[in-house]
Amino acid sequence: MASASSLAASLNPATPPDTVARAELSEIDASTRWPAIVFLLSALVWLLVGTVFALISSIKLHTPGFLGGYEWLTFGRARTAHLNAVVYGWSTNVAFAVAFWLMARLSRAKLRHAGVLVIAACFWNLGVTLGVIGILAGDSTSIEWLEMPSYVTPLLFVAYALVGAWTVITFRFRQVEHIYVSQLYLLAALFWFPWLYSIAQIMIIFEPARGTVLALVNWWFAHNVLGLWFTPIGLAAAYYFIPKVLGKPIHSYYLSVLGFWSLAIFYNWAGVHHLIGGPVPAWVISAGIAASLMMVIPVVVTAINHHLTMVGSFGALRSSPTLRFVVFGAVNYTVVSLIGSTMAIRSVNEITHFTHFTVAHAHQGMYAFFTMVMFGAVYYILPRLLLKEWPSAALIRTHFWAAAIGVTLYWIDLSIGGWIQGMEMNNANVAFLDVVRHTIPFLLVRSGAGIIMTIGHLAFAVNVVWMLCARRPAGATAPTLFHKPPAMRAASAR
Amino acid sequence: MEWIFYTFAFLVAAAISGTAVYALYWSSKHGQLRDFERGAASIFDEHEPVGQMTDHFPVKRRKPGTLNPEP
Repeated sequence: MASASSLAASLNPATPPDTVARAELSEIDASTRWPAIVFLLSALVWLLVGTVFALISSIKLHTPGFLGGYEWLTFGRARTAHLNAVVYGWSTNVAFAVAFWLMARLSRAKLRHAGVLVIAACFWNLGVTLGVIGILAGDSTSIEWLEMPSYVTPLLFVAYALVGAWTVITFRFRQVEHIYVSQLYLLAALFWFPWLYSIAQIMIIFEPARGTVLALVNWWFAHNVLGLWFTPIGLAAAYYFIPKVLGKPIHSYYLSVLGFWSLAIFYNWAGVHHLIGGPVPAWVISAGIAASLMMVIPVVVTAINHHLTMVGSFGALRSSPTLRFVVFGAVNYTVVSLIGSTMAIRSVNEITHFTHFTVAHAHQGMYAFFTMVMFGAVYYILPRLLLKEWPSAALIRTHFWAAAIGVTLYWIDLSIGGWIQGMEMNNANVAFLDVVRHTIPFLLVRSGAGIIMTIGHLAFAVNVVWMLCARRPAGATAPTLFHKPPAMRAASAR
Repeated sequence: MEWIFYTFAFLVAAAISGTAVYALYWSSKHGQLRDFERGAASIFDEHEPVGQMTDHFPVKRRKPGTLNPEP
């Protein structure tokens, strides 16, 4: 039974998967404890760092003189540092933790040689730290979503290779007959991300393609990081946590499989819609627009599944923190994706392109959908790793309402402001400076929304640190140490 | 020189596409696309069965350092 316990045996493709036993959930959670905690805490630190840079760059947009005396905090650097801190620092760290925790649980196999993943976390965070410092120092590559200087790429690549390989190894030793849809999404994302990253590095940084091909590769990469990396991880989490928290199977498993395969076919074509109006062959753009509209299929299928699973159980939103965050994220996935498909239509894109509308859309996708689902996941995972309850329900509620109100205000405000901005830019009778001036009230509201979200992040951080420092209750060794309180019984009975 | 990179890029793209096609074939051959009800229920077990919620807000403890008592 223990023949697969050595590192070499785990890596050897000839080692039969049935050399391990089916594990209990508590054993699986325990096996992921240290790497998951390191990734989650790193993610939390990056969330706070990214928030600071977000506030600085947001304030600079309506008050340009703010911190104007520091060259390393000019708008171009602060905004880029924000993007990289939240995308590669917060989002990818938390995605890694959720991915291997979920994969181990769904495979019913303990995570093997977890120390390797702790090393991967050190490499990844060292890479992102050097990358963000490089951006602030003026070393940015100026390529959207690939701004970190090329000297950090090897560190990130090694870290990613370890996390990807370890998650696939966990899947290989699975002790379940049926592969759950979340595993399909996780496996696909783990294969897609290195493909995107390596091709983009080669064709943009190391051996730059010439002419418009460079822009094509850039938007193929930047859009697919959202669609083929963060979206599958977010959907994998939603497909697990909604039914798991409710104790109710997903509405239609058939639709979930259809949603996965249609996303796999259509999403990777869609990024070209960022170049509508650009000097790119028209057929390439048309193919991108067609794929963007075809994305309605996986989105509607996923929406039907998530939302019909919730029908009849909305009362549970009152009693489960995880469900609140994940359902908020799932609703936003539906809305943001349908808006995204609409934005790819040429006549709409003529208005929204180069405006704050796109910024609103990006934040609705990365925050209102992905980040909220990840918050929900952390609320479920961390107690099971630490065998402790969350210390404060009030801080969880503060976090949820601040994040939900903040990001909703943010995307609605910037969508309206961006639309007006686009209409005015298309009107030759409106002077450009007037267009800029008219955006200022919307930018002020955006900074206000950012401050509300920051309150949520601080509540989250305090709760996590408090939880880490709190003493573990005596006898907390059960798989999920939670006993059912009366409110929860009432909710699950509904 | 750049043709080496483009050849590499093409091979990787072909391999990724091939993997997706193989995954669909594997799923079909191994019954993953049949009996969807069983697939949907595969995240539940005897410890956390269908019908049991598995998450809730923390409630105040009666005594510090002890678990929430069953009502």
